[in-house]
Amino acid sequence: MQGTLTPPLVSVPSQSTSSNQGPPPTASQISNVGPQPSKTLSPSAKSKPTNVRHMRRIIAEDAEWSLAIVPLLTELCIQHIIKNFEKNPILKQLLPEHQQKVLNHLSPDLPLAVTANLIEDENYWRRCCTKRWPVCHVSKHGGSWKHMFFERHLENLLKHFIPGTTDPSVILDLLPLCRNYVRRIRVDQFLPPVQLPTSPLTREPSESESEVDSEEPTMDHYQLGDLVAGLIHLEELDLVYGVKDCGMNFEWNLFLFTYRDCHSLAATIKACHTLKIFRLTRSKVDDEKARILIRSLLDHPALRELDLSHNLIGDRGARAAAKLLSHSRLRVLNLANNQVRGPGAQSLAHALAHNTNLISLNLRLNCLEDEGGQALAHALQTNKCLTTLNLGGNELSEPTATLLAQVLAINTTLTSINLSCNHIGLDGGKQLLEGMSDNKTLLEFDLRLSDVAQESEYLIGQALCANREAARQRTLNPGYLTSPIIANDPDHSVE
Amino acid sequence: MNPSPSESIGVLDQTVEERLSTQNLEPSVNSDNPQERIQARRLRIAARLEARRREALGEYTDGKKESEEDQSKSYKQKEESRLKLSKLLLCGTELVTNIQVAADIREIHRRVEEEEIKRQRLEKLENEVKNSQDKFDEITTKWEEGKRKRIPQDLWEILNTQQLHCAELIEDKNKLINELQQELKVKDDQYVKDLKKQSDDISLLLERMEEQVKDVMKSFRQELSVIEKAFELERQELLTSNRKKWERALQTHNSKELEYLINRIKKVEDYEKQLNKQRIWDCEEYNMIKIKLEQDVQILEQQLQQMKATYQLNQEKLEYNFQVLKKRDEESTVIKSQQKRKINRLQDVLNNLRSKYAKQVKHFQEENHSLTSEYKRLVIQFKELQRAMRQFAIIDAEKFREIWLMNEEEAKGLIDRAFDVDRIIHMQHLGLPWTAPDFWFLKNVGPISQQPQKTAKQIVEEVLKQADEDGLEENASESSYLDLPKQVSAKTTRKILMLLCDESGFLIESKLLSLLLPLEKNECYLLKLDAIFSALGIESEDDLYKLVKFFLEYRTHHLSSSQIGSWTQANLEQSSFMSALERMSLLSATGLENTKWELEQESEQETEEAESMEGEEEESFVGRELEEKEAPPSPKLIHPNEVLKVLEAFVMGLKKPRNIRATMRTANSSRDNSKDSDYWKALTTVIPPSKQNLWDALYTALEKYHLVLTQRAKLLIENNSLEQQNSELQMLLQQYLHSKVGGQRSKEEPLPSVRWFRWDAKQQEHLRWRQ
Repeated sequence: MQGTLTPPLVSVPSQSTSSNQGPPPTASQISNVGPQPSKTLSPSAKSKPTNVRHMRRIIAEDAEWSLAIVPLLTELCIQHIIKNFEKNPILKQLLPEHQQKVLNHLSPDLPLAVTANLIEDENYWRRCCTKRWPVCHVSKHGGSWKHMFFERHLENLLKHFIPGTTDPSVILDLLPLCRNYVRRIRVDQFLPPVQLPTSPLTREPSESESEVDSEEPTMDHYQLGDLVAGLIHLEELDLVYGVKDCGMNFEWNLFLFTYRDCHSLAATIKACHTLKIFRLTRSKVDDEKARILIRSLLDHPALRELDLSHNLIGDRGARAAAKLLSHSRLRVLNLANNQVRGPGAQSLAHALAHNTNLISLNLRLNCLEDEGGQALAHALQTNKCLTTLNLGGNELSEPTATLLAQVLAINTTLTSINLSCNHIGLDGGKQLLEGMSDNKTLLEFDLRLSDVAQESEYLIGQALCANREAARQRTLNPGYLTSPIIANDPDHSVE
Repeated sequence: MNPSPSESIGVLDQTVEERLSTQNLEPSVNSDNPQERIQARRLRIAARLEARRREALGEYTDGKKESEEDQSKSYKQKEESRLKLSKLLLCGTELVTNIQVAADIREIHRRVEEEEIKRQRLEKLENEVKNSQDKFDEITTKWEEGKRKRIPQDLWEILNTQQLHCAELIEDKNKLINELQQELKVKDDQYVKDLKKQSDDISLLLERMEEQVKDVMKSFRQELSVIEKAFELERQELLTSNRKKWERALQTHNSKELEYLINRIKKVEDYEKQLNKQRIWDCEEYNMIKIKLEQDVQILEQQLQQMKATYQLNQEKLEYNFQVLKKRDEESTVIKSQQKRKINRLQDVLNNLRSKYAKQVKHFQEENHSLTSEYKRLVIQFKELQRAMRQFAIIDAEKFREIWLMNEEEAKGLIDRAFDVDRIIHMQHLGLPWTAPDFWFLKNVGPISQQPQKTAKQIVEEVLKQADEDGLEENASESSYLDLPKQVSAKTTRKILMLLCDESGFLIESKLLSLLLPLEKNECYLLKLDAIFSALGIESEDDLYKLVKFFLEYRTHHLSSSQIGSWTQANLEQSSFMSALERMSLLSATGLENTKWELEQESEQETEEAESMEGEEEESFVGRELEEKEAPPSPKLIHPNEVLKVLEAFVMGLKKPRNIRATMRTANSSRDNSKDSDYWKALTTVIPPSKQNLWDALYTALEKYHLVLTQRAKLLIENNSLEQQNSELQMLLQQYLHSKVGGQRSKEEPLPSVRWFRWDAKQQEHLRWRQ
């Protein structure tokens, strides 16, 4: 026992001797430092309570109290980084919490060349956006603030781009920065080469020139080709070739969608394989231009939606659109407010009869008349895909209504039909009511201002209500109500 | 009956109720009545099925059912407000979209009107164009007319009228333009109005939308509050109903508790009574047992005393034993220490011995190494020695042969001389005819040895040659072919060989066969047989004979078997085959010595044969003929197909004796010199003693004769000298005479001639005598 005890006894002194040389001084210092203030403070506590309060590190009652006289080195570094971020952007090398700190304090005015590809943080971009634009709908930009910022920034640049005077590199320089983040371009104005309203002073000296120029070629707008080719993820293109807020400076020239524009746009959309939605509205697109555009869209790999509403497209353009229907996977086609007449509608109907992709067709405010309406109704008898059909304001009358009534009895895919602003008449309304009585899927049927008897319109409304109710039940209990419908189906076919 | 409000709660209620009912009223599975049990199970199954169905249909069905049966207030309220709200929304959207629709229809109307106006305008314009065109045409025609007019007044008139017309036309156009401009202005106004209208519309739209939003929000809030209220109410009701139920349940529970209590009290009393009874009984029993146990205790105490006594005794005994054992232990410890010491000692010894042993082992190993190396060296030396020996033997043999030859030559020279002498003696002295004695050893040249063995090939060659001659004369062949031993005739041998050659062609290489094609038949056979023998391993004469013998033997066996039995050949063949093989193997196995002995015998025989060839010849002939007669005369009986089997058996048999023979040969190499002395002795006795005697006699006689002759010779010499003296004297006389006169000479000459004659006669006489 004694033998075993001795070694520690021996070793202890040695440790103490060794420790006397090195670390203990610090310990003693600490211990000295510790008690001294308390000793000094305790007498002075009565005399200077405020002083005590300043010296204390923790005050239990005060949650915000902290004695950070000297900021932490990391804090200083972060401050420095934030200050010099423009010249020396350091972000990725930092720890996550420090990164967060830096991002929270970065100024939204930093040049995009620095921030675009470096910062992914949504908060930063949110600050940028809110600073620039008072109203921001992130949901319209895929829920990403960064995308929103770049898309809107680019749209802004495009909107105010004046061919000939603005340097095209302004936009092309931005391209490498924004190529990964722009999914959508929505431009509702393209300025012509010489802008009359904004620069009347510049115009006057060069009046003669501009007049000479404005005769034909110089009315071309900005060519999107280079830009769109650089944007990898572009999915939506929404363009209006026109000028907003021109006021009293109005000139027809401002609203000219030239053939060169048309050709370059066609080439652009043909080259852009990621494009899903293409809208070109209010741009005076006539048959020829529509044909050029649609020809370039034939067999496009990704196009889902085509919107050419509020243009001047006639039957030939409609025929081209019909061809496009059978040569692409288009799901939404909007030709509202054009000049499509019977023959165009017939060709569209022909394409629609065997189409399996198109879900929505909008032909509002055209002049289909009964000829086109009947053709479309015939096509709907075989079509099994279309769910939404808008034939508002097409001068349709009873014959179309009778055919549509037959379609309603058969078709099980249509959910929404719009026949407002037509001359369907009382008999037509009755027939539609009859057709409606056998239909269980239609949810919306707009018959306003179409000369239908109030009674039948009301009854149709009732039927729609019932259908809506059934649809609601179906969505709530997918398994439950399917069987009754199936059970009812034979009755349909018998009737 | 309970107005179960919300579905879920209702369901809960129901389940609770069900449970209660199953507990209280429903037939229990554990009940005693079998009918009831069955009922209970049925109910349980039904309940399960119901539950499953409900589960399958989902919550909704429950709700639906419930709502159908007794729609809960909240549900109703929910539906109501939902319908209301959807209607509101629908109406609102309709209200909002109405503006758009109105705008649309206005637009359509405008378009229609526009179209109409456009059409009218176009018509008007066309009419106007037509009219103006007519007018213009009229004016132009009038220009023509005017050109024709020569009278200035007319022209002026016409010009005036033209001017008027033009002015009219221009006025018309201006009017039209004015009209159109008016229209345009109207349109502009219209446009401005439309714009205003549209902005109004838009503001209206906005207003409506805002209103709508407000309305909807308000109504939603209202509905929400209403629904909440409904839920609250429902909850209240539910609470009250549940509370009632709960109270009811509590009451029943209390009453039951009371009942239980009473029952319990009764039971307690019962039990107390029983306990008392039991206690009394137990007391009695206890006493009884106590008495009995006390008795037992006494007995046991007695036993204890006894045991104690024995214990004491045992203790003493054990103590004594302990002492003894202690002593022993001490002793054993002493012994142990001794033994330990001893063990140590022995261990030391063992270690020593081990080391010694190791040393020894090393030593012996080294020794072994040295010895083995020595042995190897010796072996090498021995081998060298052997080689030297062999060389020496060869040299010795050579030397021996040379010496032998030299001696023989010498001896033969001597013998020849002797024979010459003998012949001379016989011929000249004795006048007898001499015949040279003919001995075998005289022909012998070189050292005596057994005849060199012929190779099989040579024999075959001989046989074949023989065979060629055979065709001409058979007898001659037999007599001439001396070497073929014993029982086998050349003919049979030849046949066998031919058969062998034909059958075992596979042993010959194909190349060889192709080479053989152009050769003569016999040569062909010879080469083929050579190849076959080399394949079979037949090297010497003996082997060949053995082969032939084997064939014959096999045949005899085969024949005997065939004579005995029917054509169950395969087995028999096999057996005979086996027997032949066995014999061969026996021969090889049993008699290593035997064979050795036999072979020696044979070799001796051969040497003897060589020595006394002629003598034995006849005997062998007789034997051979006998053999031939014994053996079936036709070798054709060996079927060609069996040749291979025979060959196989032979080769199997041949393998073993071959080795023995190899050793034999080395043994044979040392020649025996027993015959040498005989030989030499025989050489010495070439001249028989009788002849020597004769020679001795002759010698003495001749010696005598020689004496006589010498005397005669002396006499002759004397005579000669006398004659010489005589002639000298004559000469002298002649000279003398000559010197005197020549007359005397004629007288002197006849004298010597007479004398010569006389001597000749004497010599002749002497010779005659001699003969």
